[in-house]
Amino acid sequence: MTVSPSEPAMAEPTFAPAPIEVRVSANAAHLSVVRAVAADLAMREDFDLDSIADLKLAVDEACSTLIGVATRGAALSCRFSPSAGRVVVDVSVLADEPHEPKQDTFGWRVLSTLADEVTASTTPADSGKHLVRIELSKASGTVVGA
Amino acid sequence: MSSQAEQTKGGYEQYAPVFAELAALDPDDPARSELRDKLVTGHLPVAKHIARRFANRGENQEDLAQVATLGLINAVDRFDPERGVDFLSFAVPTIMGEVRRHFRDTSWAVRVPRRLKEMHLSISAAVGELSQRMGRAPTPSEIATHLGVSREEVFEGLEATNAYRSASLDDMLLGENDGVSLGDALGEEDEGMADVERRESLQPLLERLPERERTIVVLRFFGNMTQTQIADRVGISQMHVSRLLSRTLAKLRDALDEE
Repeated sequence: MTVSPSEPAMAEPTFAPAPIEVRVSANAAHLSVVRAVAADLAMREDFDLDSIADLKLAVDEACSTLIGVATRGAALSCRFSPSAGRVVVDVSVLADEPHEPKQDTFGWRVLSTLADEVTASTTPADSGKHLVRIELSKASGTVVGA
Repeated sequence: MSSQAEQTKGGYEQYAPVFAELAALDPDDPARSELRDKLVTGHLPVAKHIARRFANRGENQEDLAQVATLGLINAVDRFDPERGVDFLSFAVPTIMGEVRRHFRDTSWAVRVPRRLKEMHLSISAAVGELSQRMGRAPTPSEIATHLGVSREEVFEGLEATNAYRSASLDDMLLGENDGVSLGDALGEEDEGMADVERRESLQPLLERLPERERTIVVLRFFGNMTQTQIADRVGISQMHVSRLLSRTLAKLRDALDEE
């Protein structure tokens, strides 16, 4: 498992803070680490406690969904971009099949209730695999002082 | 273990007379400590062997060897040769018990420093008070201001809260019955539920949940209530709602996967 600020690509604008990436093998046993990172970032963005808990649950749900479709031995990548009272989470994994998460499921209902925005996509990757990704974004339900 | 224990047993029979000698000595006899040292030193390979069996569990090997040695010393002190049991049959479980206790006591959940436990209690009280007053969950900076401590201290206290994950407490509270049926919780025909039902048979799974877990899931995902609102309605803390939701979602995921 690695937790590291991702290297920004050369062409990216330098003012955006580099996302924090957590890579773990796609196994439910490692989710506590990912949840802890999500909670910590939400705390530091001063999310209210409901929103912190919701982000944790949303990340758990997104990661669990992707672990369910992951190629054997694949790594689960979770990139967190916290800024201005919002945390954007981009979770992706390699899969053998283009299993795009379906939107008429309870899992999707959970994700869309917990996060402000959620999107899923599948793109072809090397050696016939597919990159399945869930991106979600959540802001604190409370803007203090607003 | 059996074959190695058999092997070691063979080599340690020579110590049986030493135990008899030790037992025969007066409790105050200065010769006792020499015999005791001889027995402990002689059986050290047994302690090391047991410590090695617990390797790769994230605990320092030297610490484990020390704990096992402590277990061995206890075993030597408590062994009674009159009972007709050989020393190893008595010592091996004693040493393993000592090592297991070490693992249990050093798991992070019980070694949260006192300062953090106190911060956790202060935060819980502040969350209850602020939620009541504001009608929503507070943020870490609101909690910090309320308690007159730094945000970092609140962060630490909130993180320590994760170590309080208490399955027994959750189970205890789940035994109660607060009478919100699925229909009550859903109120009007829920469109979201109907969407899900076209693909998955969620309702039977919800019906099988303990009443409180079901109520919490339905209110959160089909009733559009926040965790704090649910906590208020069900009469437990927001942190507890959070734990129950997390556990119940995992349970539902597993059940839906099996379909």
